[in-house]
Amino acid sequence: MVDFRRDIPLAITFIIGVIAVLDYYTTIPIFINTFTVIKNWGVVLQAFALGLGAVNLLRVHGRRISERRDDWYFSAVLLAMMFIFIIVGLITGQYESGATYNWLYNAIYLPLGSTMYSSLAFYMAYGAYKVLRARTFEAALLFTTAVLVIIGNTPIFPAMFPGFFHIREWIFGPIVGGAYRGIRIGVGIGAVVLGIRTLIGLETGYLGRR
Amino acid sequence: MQRILQSLKSLVLSVLNGNSGGEIPMAILTEGRLVPLVAFILAWVATYLAIQMGTQGKIRIRRIPGLDSIEEVVGRAVEMGRPIFMIPGRGTFTDIYATQTIAGLSILSYVATLSARLGAKLYVPMSRVDVYPVAVELVTDAYKAEDKLEELDVDEQIPYLSGTQFAYASGVIGMAARMKPAGNIMMGPFWAESMMFAESFARAGAMQIGGTARMYQIPFFAAVCDYVLIGEELFAAGAYVSGDPQQVGSIAAQDWYKLAALVLGILGALLATAGVTVIGDLLRM
Repeated sequence: MVDFRRDIPLAITFIIGVIAVLDYYTTIPIFINTFTVIKNWGVVLQAFALGLGAVNLLRVHGRRISERRDDWYFSAVLLAMMFIFIIVGLITGQYESGATYNWLYNAIYLPLGSTMYSSLAFYMAYGAYKVLRARTFEAALLFTTAVLVIIGNTPIFPAMFPGFFHIREWIFGPIVGGAYRGIRIGVGIGAVVLGIRTLIGLETGYLGRR
Repeated sequence: MQRILQSLKSLVLSVLNGNSGGEIPMAILTEGRLVPLVAFILAWVATYLAIQMGTQGKIRIRRIPGLDSIEEVVGRAVEMGRPIFMIPGRGTFTDIYATQTIAGLSILSYVATLSARLGAKLYVPMSRVDVYPVAVELVTDAYKAEDKLEELDVDEQIPYLSGTQFAYASGVIGMAARMKPAGNIMMGPFWAESMMFAESFARAGAMQIGGTARMYQIPFFAAVCDYVLIGEELFAAGAYVSGDPQQVGSIAAQDWYKLAALVLGILGALLATAGVTVIGDLLRM
């Protein structure tokens, strides 16, 4: 018996997947043109989905404000900013290159984004502190390697003792490079097999319990 | 050897192009993708065979502790009366990380089912607008199947935070700090936010499982999370948790293919050392 909620998405996945594969491997115009149209549909769908995201933000945060939940004023700031950006864009008609829009972006979002990005250094330092404790043989090996790489990355030590630079290069080359490629090959093969499972309708996790 | 390969390539291409050595019409195959196509077809055949063997119960795969412990994480959340987070990454359906996104969504479906069944409050903060409706559908389906739909508040539990990386990251970090979740499962493609998430949830006291095939983020998860899925394990996750013998069987195809890549790699390295570049030439066809 045909289960439309399951079989129709699977059929769409298979047809579009096969067209994508043929677009990649062949030069037959019909497949290339069809896939270009499908990609354009994807762009249109994403634009609609963006509207869905905005509606979700409005619903979630509007409800928080109206119910005066904890930290509701953060929701108010979020919605205010969203509307300011929308209104400025609509009034000026310049969404990406307008002076007002750019000023809003550069003065508000950019510093906040940079702050978040720079805080990564502290997260990494703290993570390294937790991991680099030579309690076992493997941990000691990791610790030693990390210290050698850090020293090799600093300007002063390789300038004084060029050997540190070569040690760092050696670690990055044969050791890290080998392991990296091994994992990459596994990732590539795993992605291909998952793609095949998805195409033939065996991987249905993304469809839910259908 | 070079000539043999060239002749072989010409022969295959002329057969595919439907001419017999005369003027060459427009080529059917894209230049340099003959061997990848053959490899893809072989992967398809290998997957089919592995599925058949899986159906017959001939395939056993090793345990993956990171996936086995998902139930433990959900159970822990229930016992502690605290929420659980599932983050399917920041990939979309149209980029090169789509397979990781699909793998992450498969795990989301499993986590949502467990959360609904055991009574854990699940939060799924979202970043991508095209993945968002699918995630909502998955979680809703899972709660419906467990007859617990009234326990799900979609707007609150599956919020769309932001499509921008660090705005999204700060939103998730804020949620972790306020809610003190008991568990956090991160499966999918992650970028620089991975370390922020892992550290913030660790500080909130959450038990964590991380899984990604993004090479630069794996060390961060390995450093902070309790369990890690490294690279290809993420792609096997959906099939693994399904317990379906057909899907489990298909995982074996990955190992066969990896073995073939290993043999080709070693053989190619030895031959290249001896000055014979046949393997490299073959793979470039």
